[in-house]
Amino acid sequence: MSGAVGREPVFPTRQSLGLMKSKLKGAETGHSLLKRKSEALTKRFREITRRIDEAKRKMGRVMQIAAFSLAEVSYAVGGDIGYQVQESAKQARFRVRAKQENVSGVFLPQFESYTQDGVNDFALTGLGKGGQQIQRCRETYARAVETLVELASLQTAFLILDEVIKVVNRRVLTKSSEHVIIPRTENTIKYINSELDELDREEFYRLKKVSGKKQRDNAAADAEILAARKKAEAEEAAGGVVAAEPETADILGEQEDNDVIF
Amino acid sequence: MEGLFFNVNGGFVEGIVRGYRNSLLTGQNYSNLTQCETIDDVKLQLGPAYGDFLASLPPNPPTSALAGKMTDKLVSEFRYLVAQSVGSTAKFLEYLTYGYMIDNIALLITGTLHERDTRELLERCHPLGWFETLPVLCVATNIEELYNSVLIETPLAPYFKGSLSHQDLDELNIEIVRNTLYKNYLEDFHNFVQTHPDFSGPTQEIMSEILQFEADRRAINITLNSFGTELSKQERRKLYPEFGNLYPEGSLMLSRAEDVEGVALAVSAVSDYKSFFDAVGLSQGGGGLGGMGGGPADGKSLEDLFYQKEMEMSKFVFTRQFTPAVVYAWMKLKEQEIRNVTWISECIAQNQKERIGNFISVF
Repeated sequence: MSGAVGREPVFPTRQSLGLMKSKLKGAETGHSLLKRKSEALTKRFREITRRIDEAKRKMGRVMQIAAFSLAEVSYAVGGDIGYQVQESAKQARFRVRAKQENVSGVFLPQFESYTQDGVNDFALTGLGKGGQQIQRCRETYARAVETLVELASLQTAFLILDEVIKVVNRRVLTKSSEHVIIPRTENTIKYINSELDELDREEFYRLKKVSGKKQRDNAAADAEILAARKKAEAEEAAGGVVAAEPETADILGEQEDNDVIF
Repeated sequence: MEGLFFNVNGGFVEGIVRGYRNSLLTGQNYSNLTQCETIDDVKLQLGPAYGDFLASLPPNPPTSALAGKMTDKLVSEFRYLVAQSVGSTAKFLEYLTYGYMIDNIALLITGTLHERDTRELLERCHPLGWFETLPVLCVATNIEELYNSVLIETPLAPYFKGSLSHQDLDELNIEIVRNTLYKNYLEDFHNFVQTHPDFSGPTQEIMSEILQFEADRRAINITLNSFGTELSKQERRKLYPEFGNLYPEGSLMLSRAEDVEGVALAVSAVSDYKSFFDAVGLSQGGGGLGGMGGGPADGKSLEDLFYQKEMEMSKFVFTRQFTPAVVYAWMKLKEQEIRNVTWISECIAQNQKERIGNFISVF
């Protein structure tokens, strides 16, 4: 009855049995939900890890190409255009939008990049020489930044998911409704059931006792009445010749017939 | 006749420059450089030509530092030449620096327009474009002040006068300002070598050829680079230098060109440029605009071909004597050399060896 984990301190009543049953059901549903959530998150987590790996490899390649196109620019222009580009850039052409994605109740931020068309602040840079290289370099770097944004989005999701999965797993495993709450509740239900059965059995015995007693009482009462009647009959038989003549008993009358005892 | 008295004033400078020319990297040096595995190897290979200038670099220096040191050497040699030159040669050398001054002034104007502390920009200025009143430019805090009281004092004042007002500085894109100045500079330089009595001989021939090429190159580049920008055709036309092989018919056609084919048509009168356009496949309207990134014609872009042509012209300048034009040619060769070495070391540093041969060597 008591088991390893003990039971809840409740009175073994039907009400608390109902409570315990709903509690067990809740615990089981919660547990399976948590487990499913943890599985879903882990699946997502693995997918993100794989995509981060891909994105990082891609970033390596893209950044290399971008850095090389900058070398091409410095070859073609033959000087430093950095300052000029910095100063002439007034509006962001490449922008990032943040969204939220819901993965089994966890909000993951997602960054989305888009280019603002029509913003072309340093289109004239390198007008004299190297303009085409500069424009191409800009395109290459825009692609590189795109990859970086993608990677940033993945990495943020990775961190958040990591944290959430840890918490969920702790709830699934450590706090462990599986190993503590559910057995405990089950134990309690078993206890309550057995107590209730016990009560039932006691009640039944008591009832049996009561009915036995009643029977005995009835039998005693019957015997008493019988004795009293016999006595009356005997008295009647003695003084009946005198007394019984004047009034003949109405046989069909309402009065009860005396039992005929032989 | 010109040889008779040239050496009185210009002989020493010319001799020095011919000496400098011999220290330029040759094809052999370049093939050694392309074999290098690290920047340190490159440094080692450059040792004989650059010597002390590279000594202070840390091991495996960044490419920009390497280029900076090489430029330092160019600057110090040029300063020595300036110090040794007199008379018309000195004036000629001064003209050479105006191009760099234009870049510096454009830089400072950009800084002033955006209300930056222009003193920080002085370090970024090209040392060859340095002139005494350059730091004074930093005094000006707004563009009107800059124009009225400061720019007037610079050697470039004539180039501003008449073509740019102070409102223009404020409103026009700095690139347009820069190219306007450069156009005025080229025309002035051309005029100077054409009319100066000391340069009547070989200098005039060489320099007008080179400057005409430079003018055409700028016109073509400006046209090509302006496609797809807000630069209107009238504005574009104002940026074309008013001399050169293309001027006036070619320039007119360039100003009307709306696409690459238009440009190819405009330059088709000059056989050199036509062959360039044919080589990069632009005349057929093929893509790969300036395709250093894998365009047609074994990766050569139009810019590459122009550089190549410029280098060949500069090389031939050394076949002439009694002219300060060799200084111009030497500077151009040296600049190309710095670009080449930068390119090679970038390729080495970034491990992109397949494109390492994309430099221009003429010796």
